Amino acid sequence: MAESRAARLWIMRAAFVGLSFAVMFYHLLPLDMMPARLAGPDVLVLLCLSWALRRPDYVPAILVAAVMLLADLMFQRPPGLWSGLVLLATEFLKSRDRRDRESTFFMEWVSVAIVLLAITIAFRLALAILIVPAGPSFLGIMRYLTTVAAYPVVVVLSQLLLGVRRMAPGEFSASGRAQ
Amino acid sequence: MARHGSQSDDYAGPLKRLLLAVLLICLFGLFIFWRIDSPRVERFRAQIVDAVIPGFDWAMAPVTGAVKILRDFQSYQRIHDQNQELRRELRQMTAWKEAALQLEQENARLRDLNNVRLDPRLTYITGVVLADSGSPFRQSALINVGSRDGIVDGWATMDGIGLVGRISGVGANTSRVILLTDATSRIPATIQPSGQRALVVGDNTAAPPIDFLENPDQVRPGDRIVTSGDGEVFPPGLLIGQVAQDPGGRLRVRLAADYERLEFLRVLRDHGARRVTSPSALILPEAAPAADTAEATETPDG
Repeated sequence: MAESRAARLWIMRAAFVGLSFAVMFYHLLPLDMMPARLAGPDVLVLLCLSWALRRPDYVPAILVAAVMLLADLMFQRPPGLWSGLVLLATEFLKSRDRRDRESTFFMEWVSVAIVLLAITIAFRLALAILIVPAGPSFLGIMRYLTTVAAYPVVVVLSQLLLGVRRMAPGEFSASGRAQ
Repeated sequence: MARHGSQSDDYAGPLKRLLLAVLLICLFGLFIFWRIDSPRVERFRAQIVDAVIPGFDWAMAPVTGAVKILRDFQSYQRIHDQNQELRRELRQMTAWKEAALQLEQENARLRDLNNVRLDPRLTYITGVVLADSGSPFRQSALINVGSRDGIVDGWATMDGIGLVGRISGVGANTSRVILLTDATSRIPATIQPSGQRALVVGDNTAAPPIDFLENPDQVRPGDRIVTSGDGEVFPPGLLIGQVAQDPGGRLRVRLAADYERLEFLRVLRDHGARRVTSPSALILPEAAPAADTAEATETPDG
């Protein structure tokens, strides 16, 4: 029992990395070289946040940091800034989640939206202070809105396809600790 | 339950917090380091991309191909109209081809008379587009030729017709092309026939605006824009596009390169291009050679 649980833990961690690679792969496909008028959701961040709220043991800090840093490097973003902010956000949500476990999904959605807004503003502020061009703010706002709107989709899909759901009371994570 | 959990966290908690702090310091430190010494980190980035993308490539080519086939399939609905249009265009093209052949022969005769040799510096290497920037905020393309093939930072990249961008970031097997539409792209250009100098300034839209124009009155929509060779950034005379006016009255470039179908790119070998080796080389005056010559003239005296 314990072994299969540990095996499942590592399988799900591998699944997180695999999914992240699939998302990056999709973004890098050279389908359209014209400048985009629309900015889609940032699915990598949604994966990190939603999994961190459901099963924090599937997305340890080092995994989030590694995946987001790789994304920073691949997507021509300033390396380290966005990944650091996303890491902060996931850890903040993990720590907060222990306190209000019983909250509804809507409250969770609102808190994710607020955290996302905070790190988006911090990202653009840091770039502005250091005089790094951050891209059109219209696209930035659109990216934020689509990301927030796509959050339930990512939650439902990862629950249906990969069984990432909140642990019931009395269930234990792989390390034997109640989360 | 929660209290029990926090008790058993006694060991794990501080360790986790320590790990988190170390990770955060590393990430933000990397960002600060990138801001201070960007070329070094960008080289590191090019190496990482160079290691990752060829691993994706076996899957990328078929997926891209499949999606393109699907898109083409949608256009089959209009196939009859397209066919008619193509026939019409083909007839016009045959006329043009005839004219071009005659001109080419005449040109060859004249060159022969003058004993002209074409500039041998402008040869090119062709690469295939592997990936795009993956983000709506940056416009760049990754091609499958790199330092192994002799690619150097700063070389111009064209498709068959027009300028596409500039090499920035070279790995062993891949290199990145910053497209003219990217917000960081600045290309010195000449507008023909008036000979006005200007900058083509990328702003993340499909038609980059023309900036720093001396006299906008002399420029009309439809004029050709070519690179000027100012600042030794690019060889002069590469076609960029045509002048167009947007509804706000601002002059923009309608790019000659077909950005919707960037598949093969030509990287022009440009051995006369100024190499940027140190971060300050673009802004600071080149003081070192002057000092050398001063020494050289002084030593015979001493």
